[in-house]
Amino acid sequence: MKPGFSPSIFAIAFCGTYIAVFALNSPLFRYYPLHGDFNWGRQELTGVGPAITWYGMLAASGIVASLLAVCIPERGVDKLVRNNVWLFACAAMLACVFLLRNLFA
Amino acid sequence: MVTLLLIIHGLVGVALLGALTHQTVSMLRQRAARGTAFVDRYCGVSAPTFTIAILMLYVVQVTLGALVYPSYRIDVRIPFEEMSLGWAVGLFELKEHFAGIGLALLPMYAFAWRPDSAATHRRERIAITLLLTFIVWWDFIVGHILNNIRGLA
Repeated sequence: MKPGFSPSIFAIAFCGTYIAVFALNSPLFRYYPLHGDFNWGRQELTGVGPAITWYGMLAASGIVASLLAVCIPERGVDKLVRNNVWLFACAAMLACVFLLRNLFA
Repeated sequence: MVTLLLIIHGLVGVALLGALTHQTVSMLRQRAARGTAFVDRYCGVSAPTFTIAILMLYVVQVTLGALVYPSYRIDVRIPFEEMSLGWAVGLFELKEHFAGIGLALLPMYAFAWRPDSAATHRRERIAITLLLTFIVWWDFIVGHILNNIRGLA
């Protein structure tokens, strides 16, 4: 069987993983721009300046979504979510607003 | 170097904004444009031909944003926090997260604009294009607001 890539599964898995990583504060890695340090895993370093988690969030979401998009056959999923993939992205965006609500209080 | 990258980031943002808005307006306009009026000519483009350009511009734009990000984190965000501008930090956080979620939509966007998907994924095509347009406009406006408060030196 020829391996395929499912764009709908990629979008859903990316959004789901992104929000999970964001909510759990568990990026794949953190980057500390002050000295150019990388730190893998959940633990935050102290005394090395502010951390950037966004790169690690994108990497984690991209890897999980790519794997699932290749491994899960699209046919069944496409029937379920056809024309509704955008709803997952909307939900992810609303979840971001919710998770950041303290900054606007 | 950061200033140059920021200027290129802004220029690519303008190009992406223009292309996506053009495609969206053309997509939403129901009747075929035949007149010579500005609006007719604006809508009289083949929306599918914009897809590859938009995909490339979006990826380039996110990459440029990622390159500028460390300078923002140190030179802009820390002063925002010291000035108690939590809402400005929040706006930027939304900008980066929306941009990331936009990346998730790109393969589906490309698929939905394929000619053989026109009949089966019409609603997806409209919704995802509108969503990407919203993300790009949001990111563009927020970027300008934050740069007006405190730009990268």
